[in-house]
Amino acid sequence: MNQPELIAQLQQGNEQAFTKLVDDWQDMVYNTALGIVQNEEDADDITQEVFIQAYQSISSFKGDSKISTWLYRITVSKALDHEKRKKRKKRFGFVQSLLGSGDEEHIHPVLFNHPGVELEKKEKARELFNALKRIPEKQRIAFTLHKLEGLSYQEVAEIMNTTLYAVESLIGRAKANLKKELIKYYGTLKDPK
Amino acid sequence: MKNIETIHKLAEDALSSIEGIKRATVKPFLLTRIHARINKQTESLWEKAGRIISRPVVAFAGLCLIILINAAVIVSKNSSAQASVAEQTTQAPTDEFSYTVATIYDYDNNQP
Repeated sequence: MNQPELIAQLQQGNEQAFTKLVDDWQDMVYNTALGIVQNEEDADDITQEVFIQAYQSISSFKGDSKISTWLYRITVSKALDHEKRKKRKKRFGFVQSLLGSGDEEHIHPVLFNHPGVELEKKEKARELFNALKRIPEKQRIAFTLHKLEGLSYQEVAEIMNTTLYAVESLIGRAKANLKKELIKYYGTLKDPK
Repeated sequence: MKNIETIHKLAEDALSSIEGIKRATVKPFLLTRIHARINKQTESLWEKAGRIISRPVVAFAGLCLIILINAAVIVSKNSSAQASVAEQTTQAPTDEFSYTVATIYDYDNNQP
Protein backbone atom coordinates (compact mmCIF):
# COMPACT_ATOMS: atom_id res chain seq x y z
CA MET A 1 0.00 0.00 0.00
CA ASN A 2 1.59 3.30 -1.08
CA GLN A 3 1.15 6.58 0.78
CA PRO A 4 -1.82 8.12 -1.15
CA GLU A 5 -3.65 4.79 -0.89
CA LEU A 6 -2.96 4.57 2.83
CA ILE A 7 -4.19 8.14 3.34
CA ALA A 8 -7.36 7.43 1.35
CA GLN A 9 -8.01 4.26 3.36
CA LEU A 10 -7.41 6.10 6.63
CA GLN A 11 -9.79 8.85 5.61
CA GLN A 12 -12.44 6.21 4.95
CA GLY A 13 -11.94 4.96 8.50
CA ASN A 14 -10.33 1.68 7.49
CA GLU A 15 -9.19 -0.14 10.63
CA GLN A 16 -6.45 -2.11 8.84
CA ALA A 17 -4.96 1.10 7.47
CA PHE A 18 -4.81 2.54 11.00
CA THR A 19 -3.12 -0.65 12.25
CA LYS A 20 -0.54 -0.27 9.46
CA LEU A 21 0.01 3.38 10.34
CA VAL A 22 0.71 2.45 13.97
CA ASP A 23 2.89 -0.54 13.08
CA ASP A 24 5.00 1.37 10.61
CA TRP A 25 5.60 4.53 12.60
CA GLN A 26 5.25 3.65 16.29
CA ASP A 27 8.99 3.38 16.99
CA MET A 28 9.75 6.59 15.10
CA VAL A 29 7.14 8.49 17.12
CA TYR A 30 8.21 6.89 20.41
CA ASN A 31 11.94 7.51 19.87
CA THR A 32 11.34 11.17 18.98
CA ALA A 33 9.10 11.72 21.99
CA LEU A 34 11.61 9.92 24.22
CA GLY A 35 14.43 12.14 23.01
CA ILE A 36 12.45 15.26 23.90
CA VAL A 37 10.77 14.31 27.19
CA GLN A 38 13.49 11.90 28.38
CA ASN A 39 11.07 9.64 30.22
CA GLU A 40 9.88 6.27 28.92
CA GLU A 41 6.38 6.35 30.44
CA ASP A 42 5.76 9.90 29.23
CA ALA A 43 7.05 9.00 25.75
CA ASP A 44 4.67 6.02 25.64
CA ASP A 45 1.81 8.29 26.66
CA ILE A 46 2.73 10.84 23.98
CA THR A 47 2.97 8.08 21.34
CA GLN A 48 -0.61 7.10 22.12
CA GLU A 49 -1.75 10.72 21.97
CA VAL A 50 -0.01 11.22 18.60
CA PHE A 51 -1.81 8.28 16.99
CA ILE A 52 -5.14 9.30 18.50
CA GLN A 53 -4.71 12.79 17.05
CA ALA A 54 -3.66 11.29 13.70
CA TYR A 55 -6.78 9.08 13.78
CA GLN A 56 -9.03 12.04 14.59
CA SER A 57 -7.52 14.56 12.19
CA ILE A 58 -6.67 12.39 9.18
CA SER A 59 -9.64 13.91 7.31
CA SER A 60 -7.89 17.29 7.34
CA PHE A 61 -4.57 15.86 6.12
CA LYS A 62 -4.20 16.98 2.51
CA GLY A 63 -1.22 14.83 1.69
CA ASP A 64 1.03 17.76 0.74
CA SER A 65 3.77 16.37 2.99
CA LYS A 66 4.90 12.85 3.80
CA ILE A 67 2.99 10.96 6.53
CA SER A 68 6.24 10.69 8.49
CA THR A 69 6.72 14.49 8.38
CA TRP A 70 3.13 15.00 9.55
CA LEU A 71 3.60 12.49 12.39
CA TYR A 72 6.92 14.05 13.40
CA ARG A 73 5.21 17.47 13.62
CA ILE A 74 2.42 16.10 15.81
CA THR A 75 4.98 14.30 17.99
CA VAL A 76 7.15 17.38 18.52
CA SER A 77 4.12 19.52 19.31
CA LYS A 78 2.67 16.94 21.75
CA ALA A 79 6.05 16.41 23.45
CA LEU A 80 6.55 20.15 23.93
CA ASP A 81 3.00 20.52 25.30
CA HIS A 82 3.71 17.67 27.67
CA GLU A 83 6.91 19.35 28.86
CA LYS A 84 5.09 22.62 29.50
CA ARG A 85 2.45 20.78 31.54
CA LYS A 86 5.18 19.00 33.49
CA LYS A 87 7.01 22.26 34.19
CA ARG A 88 3.79 23.78 35.55
CA LYS A 89 3.37 20.70 37.77
CA LYS A 90 6.99 20.99 38.89
CA ARG A 91 6.47 24.63 39.90
CA PHE A 92 3.39 23.56 41.83
CA GLY A 93 5.43 20.72 43.37
CA PHE A 94 8.05 23.23 44.48
CA VAL A 95 5.39 25.32 46.20
CA GLN A 96 4.06 22.12 47.79
CA SER A 97 7.55 21.22 48.99
CA LEU A 98 7.79 24.64 50.66
CA LEU A 99 4.55 23.79 52.41
CA GLY A 100 5.98 20.39 53.33
CA SER A 101 3.86 18.17 51.09
CA GLY A 102 5.98 17.99 47.91
CA ASP A 103 7.01 14.98 45.89
CA GLU A 104 10.84 14.79 45.78
CA GLU A 105 10.89 13.03 42.41
CA HIS A 106 9.11 15.96 40.76
CA ILE A 107 11.62 18.44 42.09
CA HIS A 108 14.83 16.45 41.51
CA PRO A 109 14.18 14.25 38.46
CA VAL A 110 16.43 11.24 37.90
CA LEU A 111 18.95 11.31 35.03
CA PHE A 112 17.80 9.74 31.80
CA ASN A 113 19.30 6.61 30.23
CA HIS A 114 18.43 6.19 26.55
CA PRO A 115 17.94 2.47 25.84
CA GLY A 116 19.61 2.74 22.41
CA VAL A 117 23.00 3.97 23.68
CA GLU A 118 25.90 1.50 23.79
CA LEU A 119 26.72 0.26 27.28
CA GLU A 120 30.18 1.84 27.53
CA LYS A 121 28.82 5.23 26.47
CA LYS A 122 25.82 5.24 28.82
CA GLU A 123 27.34 7.53 31.44
CA LYS A 124 28.53 10.14 28.95
CA ALA A 125 25.21 10.01 27.09
CA ARG A 126 23.38 10.59 30.38
CA GLU A 127 25.33 13.79 30.90
CA LEU A 128 24.67 14.85 27.32
CA PHE A 129 20.91 14.30 27.73
CA ASN A 130 21.03 16.28 30.94
CA ALA A 131 22.78 19.16 29.17
CA LEU A 132 20.24 18.91 26.35
CA LYS A 133 17.52 20.01 28.78
CA ARG A 134 19.28 23.33 29.30
CA ILE A 135 19.58 24.54 25.70
CA PRO A 136 16.89 26.55 23.83
CA GLU A 137 13.85 24.60 22.63
CA LYS A 138 14.35 24.96 18.85
CA GLN A 139 18.01 23.97 19.07
CA ARG A 140 17.05 20.95 21.16
CA ILE A 141 14.37 19.83 18.68
CA ALA A 142 16.68 20.22 15.67
CA PHE A 143 19.51 18.38 17.46
CA THR A 144 17.20 15.56 18.63
CA LEU A 145 15.68 15.01 15.19
CA HIS A 146 19.08 15.04 13.51
CA LYS A 147 21.06 12.99 16.02
CA LEU A 148 18.50 10.61 17.54
CA GLU A 149 16.34 10.02 14.50
CA GLY A 150 19.18 10.37 12.02
CA LEU A 151 17.24 12.79 9.83
CA SER A 152 18.96 14.95 7.25
CA TYR A 153 19.02 18.76 7.64
CA GLN A 154 16.48 18.96 4.80
CA GLU A 155 14.05 16.62 6.59
CA VAL A 156 14.49 18.51 9.86
CA ALA A 157 13.77 21.76 7.98
CA GLU A 158 10.53 20.29 6.59
CA ILE A 159 9.38 19.10 10.01
CA MET A 160 10.24 22.37 11.71
CA ASN A 161 8.78 24.36 8.82
CA THR A 162 11.95 26.35 8.35
CA THR A 163 14.85 26.73 5.94
CA LEU A 164 17.86 24.49 5.50
CA TYR A 165 20.13 27.36 6.51
CA ALA A 166 18.15 27.89 9.74
CA VAL A 167 18.49 24.20 10.63
CA GLU A 168 22.26 24.26 9.99
CA SER A 169 22.51 27.26 12.25
CA LEU A 170 20.28 25.71 14.95
CA ILE A 171 22.29 22.49 15.07
CA GLY A 172 25.58 24.38 15.08
CA ARG A 173 24.43 26.53 18.00
CA ALA A 174 23.00 23.46 19.77
CA LYS A 175 26.40 21.73 19.61
CA ALA A 176 28.21 24.84 20.85
CA ASN A 177 25.75 25.33 23.73
CA LEU A 178 25.89 21.65 24.66
CA LYS A 179 29.67 21.77 24.77
CA LYS A 180 29.51 24.87 26.96
CA GLU A 181 27.05 23.16 29.33
CA LEU A 182 29.16 20.00 29.48
CA ILE A 183 32.35 21.97 30.18
CA LYS A 184 30.52 23.80 32.93
CA TYR A 185 29.34 20.46 34.36
CA TYR A 186 32.75 18.74 34.21
CA GLY A 187 34.36 21.89 35.58
CA THR A 188 32.30 21.59 38.75
CA LEU A 189 33.39 17.98 39.32
CA LYS A 190 36.32 17.60 41.72
CA ASP A 191 37.91 14.72 39.87
CA PRO A 192 36.64 14.56 36.29
CA LYS A 193 37.31 11.12 34.77
CA MET B 1 46.16 23.23 32.26
CA LYS B 2 45.88 19.49 32.02
CA ASN B 3 42.59 19.73 33.84
CA ILE B 4 41.14 22.10 31.22
CA GLU B 5 42.24 19.74 28.48
CA THR B 6 40.64 16.82 30.32
CA ILE B 7 37.41 18.75 30.72
CA HIS B 8 37.31 19.60 27.00
CA LYS B 9 38.05 16.00 26.12
CA LEU B 10 35.23 14.78 28.39
CA ALA B 11 32.81 17.26 26.84
CA GLU B 12 33.78 16.10 23.34
CA ASP B 13 33.36 12.45 24.39
CA ALA B 14 29.93 13.18 25.83
CA LEU B 15 28.92 14.98 22.62
CA SER B 16 29.92 12.01 20.50
CA SER B 17 28.41 9.44 22.89
CA ILE B 18 25.15 9.29 20.95
CA GLU B 19 26.86 8.58 17.62
CA GLY B 20 25.43 5.31 16.32
CA ILE B 21 22.56 5.36 18.83
CA LYS B 22 19.86 2.77 18.17
CA ARG B 23 16.21 3.70 17.94
CA ALA B 24 14.26 3.00 21.14
CA THR B 25 11.31 0.68 20.64
CA VAL B 26 7.86 1.10 22.08
CA LYS B 27 6.38 -1.38 24.58
CA PRO B 28 4.22 -4.14 23.02
CA PHE B 29 0.44 -3.84 22.47
CA LEU B 30 0.49 -0.14 21.67
CA LEU B 31 -2.48 -0.50 19.33
CA THR B 32 -4.58 -2.09 22.10
CA ARG B 33 -3.70 0.77 24.43
CA ILE B 34 -4.60 3.33 21.75
CA HIS B 35 -7.99 1.68 21.14
CA ALA B 36 -8.69 1.57 24.88
CA ARG B 37 -7.89 5.26 25.11
CA ILE B 38 -10.07 6.17 22.10
CA ASN B 39 -13.00 4.30 23.70
CA LYS B 40 -12.38 6.04 27.01
CA GLN B 41 -12.44 9.41 25.27
CA THR B 42 -16.09 9.11 24.23
CA GLU B 43 -17.38 11.68 26.69
CA SER B 44 -20.92 12.46 27.80
CA LEU B 45 -22.90 15.52 26.68
CA TRP B 46 -22.29 17.26 30.01
CA GLU B 47 -18.55 16.60 29.83
CA LYS B 48 -18.50 18.05 26.31
CA ALA B 49 -20.47 21.11 27.43
CA GLY B 50 -18.17 21.57 30.41
CA ARG B 51 -15.08 21.35 28.20
CA ILE B 52 -16.48 23.95 25.77
CA ILE B 53 -17.55 26.33 28.54
CA SER B 54 -14.20 26.06 30.30
CA ARG B 55 -12.33 27.27 27.19
CA PRO B 56 -10.87 30.70 28.00
CA VAL B 57 -12.37 32.32 24.89
CA VAL B 58 -15.85 30.99 25.59
CA ALA B 59 -15.64 31.79 29.31
CA PHE B 60 -14.44 35.34 28.59
CA ALA B 61 -17.12 35.90 25.92
CA GLY B 62 -19.77 34.60 28.33
CA LEU B 63 -18.56 36.92 31.07
CA CYS B 64 -18.61 39.90 28.67
CA LEU B 65 -22.15 38.97 27.60
CA ILE B 66 -23.34 38.83 31.22
CA ILE B 67 -21.73 42.22 31.95
CA LEU B 68 -23.32 43.70 28.79
CA ILE B 69 -26.77 42.36 29.70
CA ASN B 70 -26.42 43.77 33.22
CA ALA B 71 -25.29 47.15 31.87
CA ALA B 72 -28.19 47.21 29.40
CA VAL B 73 -30.70 46.42 32.18
CA ILE B 74 -29.25 49.15 34.46
CA VAL B 75 -29.27 51.73 31.65
CA SER B 76 -32.85 50.90 30.64
CA LYS B 77 -33.99 51.02 34.29
CA ASN B 78 -32.35 54.42 34.74
CA SER B 79 -33.93 55.87 31.62
CA SER B 80 -37.39 54.58 32.54
CA ALA B 81 -36.98 55.99 36.06
CA GLN B 82 -35.99 59.37 34.59
CA ALA B 83 -39.01 59.24 32.24
CA SER B 84 -41.39 58.58 35.13
CA VAL B 85 -39.86 61.44 37.15
CA ALA B 86 -40.30 63.74 34.15
CA GLU B 87 -43.88 62.56 33.76
CA GLN B 88 -44.54 63.16 37.44
CA THR B 89 -43.15 66.70 37.23
CA THR B 90 -45.39 67.54 34.24
CA GLN B 91 -48.40 65.86 35.86
CA ALA B 92 -48.03 67.69 39.18
CA PRO B 93 -49.07 71.26 37.99
CA THR B 94 -51.88 69.73 35.98
CA ASP B 95 -53.22 68.14 39.13
CA GLU B 96 -52.60 71.35 41.05
CA PHE B 97 -54.68 73.50 38.69
CA SER B 98 -57.25 70.89 37.84
CA TYR B 99 -60.84 72.16 37.74
CA THR B 100 -62.16 68.74 38.48
CA VAL B 101 -63.33 68.53 42.02
CA ALA B 102 -63.36 65.07 43.36
CA THR B 103 -65.75 64.57 46.21
CA ILE B 104 -67.07 61.50 47.86
CA TYR B 105 -70.50 62.35 46.38
CA ASP B 106 -69.18 61.64 42.91
CA TYR B 107 -69.06 57.96 43.65
CA ASP B 108 -72.13 55.95 42.98
CA ASN B 109 -74.06 54.97 46.00
CA ASN B 110 -74.44 51.29 45.49
CA GLN B 111 -76.27 50.66 48.70
CA PRO B 112 -79.97 49.98 48.41
